Amino acid sequence: MRRRVVITGMGVLTPLGHTVSELFTSQVEGRTAVGPITRFDARTFPTTFASEVKGFDLAQHIPDAGRFHNCGLNTQFALVAARYALHDAGLLDPARGDRTRMGVYLGSGEGSDEFPVLVRGLALASRKDGSGKVDPGEFVRHELRLMNGPREGEQEMYTPAGHLGNEYVLEGPNQACQTACAASSQAIGEALEIIRCGEADVMLAGGSHSMIHPLGVSGFNRLTALSQRNDSPRTASRPFDATRDGFVIGEGAGLIVLEELEHAKKRGATIYAELTGYGTTADAYRMTDPHPEGRGAIRAMADALADAGLKPSDIGYINAHGTSTQANDSTETAAIKAVFGEYAYKVPISSSKSMLGHLIAAAGVVELVISVMALRKGVIPPTINYQYPDPACDLDYVPNTAREVRFRHVLSNSFGFGGQNIALIASRYTGG
Amino acid sequence: MLTYPRRTVLTGFGVISPIGTGPAAFWDALLAGTPGVHTISHFDPSALPSRMAGEVRGFSARSLIDKSYRRNLNAMARTIELGVVGCQLAMQDAGLGKGSVPPERIGIEFSSVMGATDLDDLGPAAVKSIKPDGSGPDMAVWGAEGLDLVPPLWMLKYLPNMPACHATIIYDIRGPSNTQIPGDTSGGVALAEALRIIRRGAADVMIVGSSEAKVHPLSLSRFNLFAEFSRRNDDPEGAIRPFDRERDGTAPGEGATVFILESLEHARGRHATIYGEVLAVASGVDRGLRGSGLARVIRSALAQAGITPADVDHVNAHGLGTTPGDAFEARGIAEVFGNSVPVFAPLSRFGNQGAGSTLMELAASVLALRHGRLPGTLNHSKPDPACPVAVHTGEPRPVGKPYAVKLSYTDLGQCCAIVIRQWTD
Repeated sequence: MRRRVVITGMGVLTPLGHTVSELFTSQVEGRTAVGPITRFDARTFPTTFASEVKGFDLAQHIPDAGRFHNCGLNTQFALVAARYALHDAGLLDPARGDRTRMGVYLGSGEGSDEFPVLVRGLALASRKDGSGKVDPGEFVRHELRLMNGPREGEQEMYTPAGHLGNEYVLEGPNQACQTACAASSQAIGEALEIIRCGEADVMLAGGSHSMIHPLGVSGFNRLTALSQRNDSPRTASRPFDATRDGFVIGEGAGLIVLEELEHAKKRGATIYAELTGYGTTADAYRMTDPHPEGRGAIRAMADALADAGLKPSDIGYINAHGTSTQANDSTETAAIKAVFGEYAYKVPISSSKSMLGHLIAAAGVVELVISVMALRKGVIPPTINYQYPDPACDLDYVPNTAREVRFRHVLSNSFGFGGQNIALIASRYTGG
Repeated sequence: MLTYPRRTVLTGFGVISPIGTGPAAFWDALLAGTPGVHTISHFDPSALPSRMAGEVRGFSARSLIDKSYRRNLNAMARTIELGVVGCQLAMQDAGLGKGSVPPERIGIEFSSVMGATDLDDLGPAAVKSIKPDGSGPDMAVWGAEGLDLVPPLWMLKYLPNMPACHATIIYDIRGPSNTQIPGDTSGGVALAEALRIIRRGAADVMIVGSSEAKVHPLSLSRFNLFAEFSRRNDDPEGAIRPFDRERDGTAPGEGATVFILESLEHARGRHATIYGEVLAVASGVDRGLRGSGLARVIRSALAQAGITPADVDHVNAHGLGTTPGDAFEARGIAEVFGNSVPVFAPLSRFGNQGAGSTLMELAASVLALRHGRLPGTLNHSKPDPACPVAVHTGEPRPVGKPYAVKLSYTDLGQCCAIVIRQWTD
């Protein structure tokens, strides 16, 4: 008999709220977090808006926050969401439980270069011969003088998961992955497998990311992946709408506490849901575009259903990846039809990103949290900004208004650059 | 509690390293004691406090990459080039090609990091948008004019999951694909996850690989400001001194190491050559780098493998050559093994490969068990009382027991231990 895994704690730090209840209320009410970029002066960028975490001050959330002042936002966001998740689960106190049986799996983003320092070094070291080349030896000479060493040390990709293990005394398995927009869902799925096979009893899993910095927005703008609806940022994220023109970049973090069922019952933990299904596949197609028939997405969903022992009609709600790009939304729709058949037209589908924007590596976990809340409350948040039907997207996307529906199982999709496809299924926990 | 029905073996190995490319060259260099750390030649390092590295010299992705895929090289930074070519070498070595395994039954676990930007990609934009007084970029100019000078695919050149992405496309790999990033332990946790994937039946064959290329002006500017790098610039070959009293820091390396991991029945079914068996991988956190946490992770891996410390031929240490790092690692080893087990640290030969370190170091033990000879550790001559372990140096010694343990860690105490077994038919 396979070990069963339940969710016993959830914590988020998002553009739509710093608590799970605030986030979910905002989602149900159809509020958007999108607005002008305030982190840097982006007024002349092709895209001038984003979905930012507002009013963030680490010291309001973490004792002795100065210890982490050199850390990037990805680490700081993760520390906060982790603290709330562990507190929610009753596991913040390191005296609780065997901490060597508790681990971390973070789908985390990278740190960032200090943009002004990088640009200064590049400009100073650029050859004056019109070649457009940079002299690397000169560049090093300038950067050694300009850079802040301790800050740079904290941008390394291993640091967020390492800090979580140390700060919260989670001494078991420690992993971190970066599979673009699928990362935190993949972290959750593989953390599920770590508990199932007995390597740990508790895993703090999820993700954290911020790419709302000059190079992040520049990079996505060069790929023409972002919406450029600068005259109307609040309606820019419009998944499945015919006039969608790209995703809206967001940032944030979410961590959930996954726990082996008997372990959770023994300590009387509150069980939010059971994590019953996980599917993971590669498209093997292109760097950014999804496979036109969604073959990877199809098998990820089908594998998750098989893993959970469910048939398509058992799923009461699909929380879509729904990025608001032309390619994703039509491909995801086609993939859902391939898996769900006629039932695809009946099952409610919505995109959290219509309000939150795209939290990149943190997107999947925050959307799973929203899915679990929908499961518990019997309310499905809408897809907002849905105005113009697209013939390629002809399913029920719960347009613009939340819907009360009782259901037992929710499927959440996450796809990413590189052909990464993850599907997770959470189910109402009914005892036994 | 751990019930794993499926045995998993290594059936392919590709390596691009400072001491040689391919299994034969790599092994010959290990036996001969060939040093791979030299004065940096990729760029003028004279401003750096530490000017040594394990470089891969003469590497040409253009001549090595699959011809049908050459057009995509403009979207690959060096880390990605090394990783993709490493995957090709491993697949060839395993006798596998596109379609030889059903696409759904093969996956990939890769260990990598976000690459550092090529300077010339951003140089023209920087020159265009720098303020007249040189104090920083004029953001309005960057957005309006500079940005257009950045290559359109710039971001894709550096994403950590791109080596895996390209490999899935080249070989039509549609099973699980993940990219691990916890620094020096990430190759180990990639192997851990690949094991779990095969054991739970989600794939029969997994590429498990790593690459990193931080002998790069931006990376080394950064690392020289926060990492303990050796200042022994007048003796680069002797710079990294694992567990030696006179060690003064490590040096970076670059390269790629890729294994093919396969369920035993699948490997037998196709009569594959088997390098060795992977029994267990454990990871965990040693808070405060005390050593007891590392010891716990080692014991956990031994328990999963069903063996005791007395069964182990040698411990393959990370052996960075840093002052606190080596002492920490030695404490952990000594707590489990006392000072009886030979400790072998291959890193002093090819530098710290970062995300690529665990697997390149592991490769040395895989080959040692296979060939029955354990090479000596380079640059260990004066034992340090703070490192109470018996470092194997000098001439190769015969392998006497079938198991080896590979260790790695980060400076935040993330630890990983791998147990492998010699393969005898």
